[in-house]
Amino acid sequence: MSNTVGVRNLWRHVLALILVFFTAFPIYVVIMTSLDPTGGIASDSWLPVKFSFSNYTKLFTDPRIPYLSWMRNSLIIASATAVTSVMIGAASAFAFSRMRFKGRKIGLQALLLVQVFPSFLSLSAIYVIMERIYLVVPALGLGSIWGLYLIYIGGAMGINAWLLKGFLDTIPMELDESARIDGASVPQIYWLIFFPLASPVLAVTAVLSFIGTFNEFVLASLFLQDVDKRTVAVGLQQFVGGQYEQVWGPFAAGSIIASIPLVIIFLSMQRYIIGGLTAGAIKG
Amino acid sequence: MIYALVGLRGSIALLLKFAILGATDALLIWIISVALGKNSIILAVVLIAATAALNITYLVKGAVPLKFLIVGILFFSIFVVTPTGYTIIMSGFNYKTGNEIDKPSAIAGVLANGLSTDESGTAYDMFLGKTPSGQWAAILEDQVNHSVVFATTDGVQPIGESEITRNSDGIITAANGIKQLSQDEQATADSEITALRFPLGDNYFASPQGAEVALRMTQVMSYDKTSDTFTNSQTGEVFVDNGKGNFANKADLTQVLDPGWRSFSAFDNYKQLIMDKKVRDPFIGVFVWTIAFAFLSVGTTFAVGMLLALALQNQLRFRRFYRGFLILPYAIPSFMSILIWRGLFNKDYGAINHLLHTHIGWFDGPWTARAAVILVNLWLGFPYMYLISSGALQSIPSELEEAASIDGATGKQAFIAVKLPLLVQILGPLLISSFAYNFNNFNIIYLLTGGGPTDESTGAIAGATDILISYAYKTAFGSTFQNLGLSSAISMMMFFIVGTLSMYTLKKSRVLETL
Repeated sequence: MSNTVGVRNLWRHVLALILVFFTAFPIYVVIMTSLDPTGGIASDSWLPVKFSFSNYTKLFTDPRIPYLSWMRNSLIIASATAVTSVMIGAASAFAFSRMRFKGRKIGLQALLLVQVFPSFLSLSAIYVIMERIYLVVPALGLGSIWGLYLIYIGGAMGINAWLLKGFLDTIPMELDESARIDGASVPQIYWLIFFPLASPVLAVTAVLSFIGTFNEFVLASLFLQDVDKRTVAVGLQQFVGGQYEQVWGPFAAGSIIASIPLVIIFLSMQRYIIGGLTAGAIKG
Repeated sequence: MIYALVGLRGSIALLLKFAILGATDALLIWIISVALGKNSIILAVVLIAATAALNITYLVKGAVPLKFLIVGILFFSIFVVTPTGYTIIMSGFNYKTGNEIDKPSAIAGVLANGLSTDESGTAYDMFLGKTPSGQWAAILEDQVNHSVVFATTDGVQPIGESEITRNSDGIITAANGIKQLSQDEQATADSEITALRFPLGDNYFASPQGAEVALRMTQVMSYDKTSDTFTNSQTGEVFVDNGKGNFANKADLTQVLDPGWRSFSAFDNYKQLIMDKKVRDPFIGVFVWTIAFAFLSVGTTFAVGMLLALALQNQLRFRRFYRGFLILPYAIPSFMSILIWRGLFNKDYGAINHLLHTHIGWFDGPWTARAAVILVNLWLGFPYMYLISSGALQSIPSELEEAASIDGATGKQAFIAVKLPLLVQILGPLLISSFAYNFNNFNIIYLLTGGGPTDESTGAIAGATDILISYAYKTAFGSTFQNLGLSSAISMMMFFIVGTLSMYTLKKSRVLETL
């Protein structure tokens, strides 16, 4: 009996193992490359020829690779965007979910439609706006991470309001009615009832926004020109744009370090994120 | 206590509210004053409107929904709606390299280009500054015969060597009646300086080229407002508005003046996409590949993800390990995975050629490049499909399968006839949005292949792996020729396709009905 189960399960293991190898292949190569000071694995062995952490130390010591600044920029901008966009998204979602007002339906549909527009093709218009801002307040315009932050926040309402509204709709109306009878004002209902109730969802939204911002590449590469103001995404990309073979080692090390925080965040919040995905997110 | 703090009714809360609003106001007003000081009127007006909206919303009683929405609305309008609207409008304009500015600027540009130096190319060393009354003035020293004159925008007058000071190299460093500008003043007045003209008589004038040199020039091209034409005084040629954003020679319409302007072209950009063979053929090629790419991406990732979900749905040894390990591609930042894959596919150093003992330029051939894109997208996407499939599998009651097996169906038959249709129905909206997502999946194309390989013999910018969005990006922001009008038209078509798909999905999932 146990034998037939084993045979019946064989295809499951075979499939899973093939996928494990498929998944592991680039990860393995990157780890090995990062540990090989010669910066390539084009030798006959699948293990590093020499073994050292020199690619890692290079990231932090080579003045041409301001890796720490890149990481700091990415973390700052992604955290700030995550927090702000969740605040804006939650407030908007609350209004759309709990209140009835003129323009509500049109507002919701407009948010969705504009979202579908391939937004970064309005890059040149955004560029002009940022240029104008730069001439007045350089710290908030072209070339600064806070200017980029403003643009990211601009899209926050569209993405998050829909996502969060879906969740808020599941909280029964009776809850706010009874609070109102108890004499609570609207801000009180929002801060004392909804915010705590929605906090797991808000956290997931924040994490998704963090990951999205961390991954964002097009806007960042266009707006952040100075080498030490770049985000990790832009820095590493332009890094490999040059002589591939020469920088492959430090690039591998850089991408491993940059991935670690995200993988940890993702895996620790896995259950909630997956719940959010299957709840029928609008974006794939 | 906590009600008083959070409720925005008690005095502490009120204080907090005014503090935050006050600080925001202070910041905004400061930026507005700087903007006004720097003549940035549009920005100032937008910010004044925003400040007014914020204060009215939060200081006036009532309009509670707006209190929750206003911040989001402001950001959304400035950074999303405005640029989107601008792009849509630009799809109706002939907006491309050579036709980027508005008509008055183009006329000014043609006038500026329509200058001619005198025959001997007389040049002056210039000592530029302002008179005590604030008028622009300069000492012009002929570079050949070293004669010196004092020039203002009214004309020139002689000046004695005794009134100017020179350094040891003979360069003028000071002059009576002229105060030189500081570096900062010079930098801000840059465009004003290049527009200066010091009349020299005989229709000639000195035109500053930068802050230190001027050329003796005359205006050859002249503009006539009433007939809207340019006339070349040397050749007698007349140039008329050709209706396509350029002044063209009346005698030979193919000869146009630079720069042009972005003229309204209604549906010309769309017409080009459909009628103009040079634009249409690459567009159709890209369009077909975009659809194929989106289908293949969803198809392969869904097939693998679903198979995996089936394989792991029952108790299995190492299941936890498989699950945990196989969602890694979803957790690793995608831009990084794509760049890593790009390295693996490298012809000379890549691990894939190393593994296969080959020496293939994967991104050099159209079909290998396309296969590579699909493979990498499979790596990136199957964990997501696995996650949603296994979620959907769990939501299907097992009674269904039992009923099928009682009716005599084998496991495989039961799955295909009973479960699969149900799964597709459950996952349909997610698969459609995944299709829409891949339809616009810029990152994988741009970072992996850059859209390449391109056919060098035709010089077309569209590559074999370009999808619409990367093609539109290249069209708008290419390195040699940029056509924002055409790119906007392509964007509009994508918007239409993806918008229709999304609306269809939403209708199906009944989201809009419950609004």
